[in-house]
Amino acid sequence: MTQLVWNGLFVGSFYALVALGYSMVYGIIKLLNFAHGDLYMLGAFSGFAVLAALGGVSTAMTLPVLLAVLLLTMVSTGLAGVALERVAYRPLRGAPRLSLLITAVGASFAIEYGMRIVAGPDPQVYPVRLSGTAFEVFGASLTLPQLVLIGVAVVLMVGLHLLVAKTREGRAMRAIALDPRTSSLMGIDVNAVISRTFFIGSALAGAAGVMAGAYYGKIDFLMGFLIGLKAFTAAVIGGIGNIPGTMLGGLVLGLLESFGTYWLGGEWRDVFAFGVLILFLTVRPTGLLGERVTERV
Amino acid sequence: MRKTHILSLAVTAMMLAGCGQGLLGNGGGAQDEAKGPIRLGMLVPQSGSEAAIGPYMTNAAQLAIDEINAKGGVLGRQLQLKAADDACDAQTAVAAANKVVTEGVEVSIGGYCSGATLPTLPVFGKANIPMIIPAANSQELVDQKLKHVFLINGTGTQQAEAASKWIAKQGATRVALMHDNTSYSKDIAVRTQPLLGDKAVITEAVTPKESDYSANIHNVLQKKPDFVYWTGYFQEGGLIIRQLRQAGFKGSIMVGDGSVSAKLGEIAGPEVDGVFATMTPIPDTLPEAKGWIDSYTKKFGSAPGPYSNQAYDAVRLAAEAITKAGSTDGAKVISALEGIDGFTMFSGPLKFTPEHTLSAGGFQILVWKGGKFALQDALS
Repeated sequence: MTQLVWNGLFVGSFYALVALGYSMVYGIIKLLNFAHGDLYMLGAFSGFAVLAALGGVSTAMTLPVLLAVLLLTMVSTGLAGVALERVAYRPLRGAPRLSLLITAVGASFAIEYGMRIVAGPDPQVYPVRLSGTAFEVFGASLTLPQLVLIGVAVVLMVGLHLLVAKTREGRAMRAIALDPRTSSLMGIDVNAVISRTFFIGSALAGAAGVMAGAYYGKIDFLMGFLIGLKAFTAAVIGGIGNIPGTMLGGLVLGLLESFGTYWLGGEWRDVFAFGVLILFLTVRPTGLLGERVTERV
Repeated sequence: MRKTHILSLAVTAMMLAGCGQGLLGNGGGAQDEAKGPIRLGMLVPQSGSEAAIGPYMTNAAQLAIDEINAKGGVLGRQLQLKAADDACDAQTAVAAANKVVTEGVEVSIGGYCSGATLPTLPVFGKANIPMIIPAANSQELVDQKLKHVFLINGTGTQQAEAASKWIAKQGATRVALMHDNTSYSKDIAVRTQPLLGDKAVITEAVTPKESDYSANIHNVLQKKPDFVYWTGYFQEGGLIIRQLRQAGFKGSIMVGDGSVSAKLGEIAGPEVDGVFATMTPIPDTLPEAKGWIDSYTKKFGSAPGPYSNQAYDAVRLAAEAITKAGSTDGAKVISALEGIDGFTMFSGPLKFTPEHTLSAGGFQILVWKGGKFALQDALS
């Protein structure tokens, strides 16, 4: 039982990290950025490139090196997210939402198959592996790397929450989410804030990508697709646009999958998890913590 | 008219991402068919999740074609490869099949993913084109008893028999079967289970393309198995092996032929040592294939991979059948294929059963040792 909870929380913290970017972007410009999962993939590959460039330096001091790689990757993935917004989304800011959505799907394919050209279709294997001996806590076996990864995820999420809730920057983001036009009249540089939102969201996805690469070992150019879908689900369950809700949604989805597999068997897991998504969309479309707001047109 | 025809061809080719071969050999649909090259169609994944497999198969087919052409071709005509991308996806595969059919292929020598190959059977059937399927091996491919479909890889049934034999030989008493819910993988698992009887304690399906299988592994380990048989592909296989060991599983692990790849070991890490596999003969386990590996490596700058030898054999078999039939007429080639007895292939002398599968599956047991799969037991 505790093992199920632990497995669910561990997977869920990855979902939550990726879902945050989804949720922030949706919150601020009402765009479902379907290329977000691919930023996770970009993160995994740029981490891989950095590690490959470092060569064999790393084996002795795996964790500190990985943390440095993590930071570098977050910056590069964040910049990729900014570029994506600048190239693919900003020119369509005033366009109907459907156009934006289709652009996002197109951007997703462009990133995936662009990476296939660069890195090839074969899966790559991380040169550094996080592994440790398992120990038992309340009957669940867990490893040190798992704890570290969850710790990193929690630190990133708390940092994000503080940023949005307590700083000027966060206030600007929230203001734009409420009303971009009035915000710009109040002297907020809307484009700059949106760029920074993309930077932060993409950096979080990139961090999740590196962590997945280092923990699971295998990365490939399509790895972002499924997790992008799961992150979207997590964001909807938690309340898309709402940051604490999204974190909660990620963990809830992880737990749903873990228990769904246990109760119903592996082939029913996704039916169960996505069934819950449909239930949420019909019964409580605003998600667990989302607030009911009247749609502005 | 002709212009638009070529244009639409080019557009179709562009839509099928990464379909280099299709763009290259754009010779001419207007040529006199009897004098032009004999075109062999080959649908393999060149994009998508199984994209890594495509080159192994098209390269090997090209190698066979070049060798045959150097000796003067077949019936005085040169062979030409028309490869197209099926992306391991049913819809893409049907589009690709229609494309190679309009390009005038005479024999199909492709098919890797069973799920993508299955819907192309009627496309080739309607055009009266015989199919020599090198890799895809789900029982469903031959269940319809189509006259034009021939499998030169062992079937799921034969693989399941080999697996259960080895499991019995190992003395395992509690066996967990894991598959990824695709046609190929589920086929083997479902056919292995009744052969094991009470010994099969759980059949667990996983979702392919994920990274974390801890929930599935938790389910499997709850049943306290001493043997796990994974019947899916190598990407998930590597992760599952590693995660099984990390979760403390001490028993034996075996994988199906879709997982036999050097990448399996890279992904699984050191945990892969001692993992068994059910597999048809591969170049590495055939002493007589040494020269073949060398010429392949020399030509393409990399070693052959999974299903290179079957793709190579498919071309040779097609050439043999056309030679025997004395024409490229579909019906004649099919009866020539049915009449073949003792044609030498990597998997041994070939003779088709009435249902167009290999009379002997030729599955062996490999074991991962010293950085690659080596022969453990020929099961003969």
